[in-house]
Amino acid sequence: MYTELNSILSTTPDSFTQGEFILVSDRQSDASFLIHHFLSFYLRARCKVCFLGLVQSFSHYNAVSQRLGVSLAQAKEKGQLIFLEGLTESLSVLSQETNSGSQAMDFLRDPTVGLRRLYEFIRSSVSSSGGGEDGAEEWGPPVLLVDDVSVLLSLGVSAEAVLDFSHYCRATVCSQLQGNTVMLVRCDGEEVVDDGDDEGSERLLKGLTHQCSLTLHVQGLPTGYCRDIHGQVEVCWRRRQGDGQNTQKKLFQYKVHDKGASFFARGTSSAVL
Amino acid sequence: MLPELLLGTDAGGFLIIRDSASYSGRHLLKSFINAALNREEYVHVLGFEGSEEELRDGLKGSPTQRLHFHNAFTDPLGWTDHPAFTVYQFNFEELTHLVKQTSHPKPAILIIDSLSWILRHVSPPAVCKTLQQLKKGGAVRAIIGLLHADMHQRGTVGSVCHLASSIITVAPGMKGDEAVAKITKRSKSGKVIQDEEIFNIKEDFTVTVQSKLSHIGPKQPDPEEKEMDPTANLTFNLRLSDTEREAKGKLALPFVFSKEKKTALLHSGPGSGRILYEPDANDDYDQEDPDDDLDV
Repeated sequence: MYTELNSILSTTPDSFTQGEFILVSDRQSDASFLIHHFLSFYLRARCKVCFLGLVQSFSHYNAVSQRLGVSLAQAKEKGQLIFLEGLTESLSVLSQETNSGSQAMDFLRDPTVGLRRLYEFIRSSVSSSGGGEDGAEEWGPPVLLVDDVSVLLSLGVSAEAVLDFSHYCRATVCSQLQGNTVMLVRCDGEEVVDDGDDEGSERLLKGLTHQCSLTLHVQGLPTGYCRDIHGQVEVCWRRRQGDGQNTQKKLFQYKVHDKGASFFARGTSSAVL
Repeated sequence: MLPELLLGTDAGGFLIIRDSASYSGRHLLKSFINAALNREEYVHVLGFEGSEEELRDGLKGSPTQRLHFHNAFTDPLGWTDHPAFTVYQFNFEELTHLVKQTSHPKPAILIIDSLSWILRHVSPPAVCKTLQQLKKGGAVRAIIGLLHADMHQRGTVGSVCHLASSIITVAPGMKGDEAVAKITKRSKSGKVIQDEEIFNIKEDFTVTVQSKLSHIGPKQPDPEEKEMDPTANLTFNLRLSDTEREAKGKLALPFVFSKEKKTALLHSGPGSGRILYEPDANDDYDQEDPDDDLDV
């Protein structure tokens, strides 16, 4: 959890806006440090977290979170964190014929069926927070984190199906249960002028942008690599805020450290001043 | 023109608000809902992209008892057991039935939020057919739809927009809460009016137009401007009188070498210096014989 980012977004683990759909995107850069931020943030906020880790193994996320001061293994034991490890789940789907495990990754067998099973897995895991066993701790509003949805495209799912999936996640998690959703989407190529026929990740990014309430877009520096500034992040609030502003945009530069990240206004890096 | 459109869409009118990822047109759509409610119209909202709470939350100050929300948000594809309205039900019969479930003294206004959601799952020809039938059907007085233009192929956007009687394309403005609206209005007589306005939306969803950007289309020439002589109020004279022309003819131009000038230059007065020149051998330079050794 990066306190500087919390002050930019004016949230703390004790008080944060509920029902938000946060889209984290990157272009020719790496925004996964923001996923680690949100993971540790919501665990500290005592939310019930459902994490779809499609990119890395559990031990990777656990190691990073440990540095940020949160133990994923403990959270998992306590029932606060539900972790779907995409790598091992997909392996079990491919290697075993019998339906032994969860059916969440069923789309791997036939990508055309869509992500309905994956959504059902999420719905059952986030809505089971209330009816726990005796002595189980009570958790706050549910949170869904996905790292990252572009992987689904590589696995053969169409952008349309991913958009349907994210719509259902938003309707259930954000609207019905008043929780939050954070999704990461990655784009490789240069930004293209919109002509409506773009494929895959660009289309996904546009569709998710229309759905979300807050975007964090990470880009490399336009001037190229720099040792002291790792890139810039554009924060854009799309919903009508309390102060009456329509869409608000802010641009920050950042540097990722070993145990955190610093955010500063453009041109105010310690290397410049 | 934006305030006129907010005042009321004509019967059988179809208005499209076109937006893109850079600026959401939903606030403007809510302004239209708000304006219609304040006009005591019956408003039916077909909501795919937002929940009823979200919509009603934004319209706290308006009379919402005439607002009917049809929930296509929680389950638009029928993934759960009891979907309220799925995207596959988007056809003329179902929609007419839906609107007529509640009886009104007059035809209602149908708000579609958004057309993009429908176009992603239903083929564009079927959507266009349904919209056209709704326009002619009589169950609804007017249709207002939101369309995310950057989500579809250009041809799809074009064919849906051809059905519309008015199109408002919104884009972010230069300053914080300003936005630019490009409006195309097709009146029943076939006249097309285009306009571009800068507007902002206040918290209570009232739209204020800041300024007009430009007037596109044939501009009426000013009749007074035609008569006016551009040479009327000049600080210099364009024409010459006869005496002036004579004086001009007499004037000796500086490059003309007259006799007086020549003598004045050659015979200088007493006391001034003179140049004496005696040619020497170097002056007798022959280009064809630079060394002067040829016996020519």
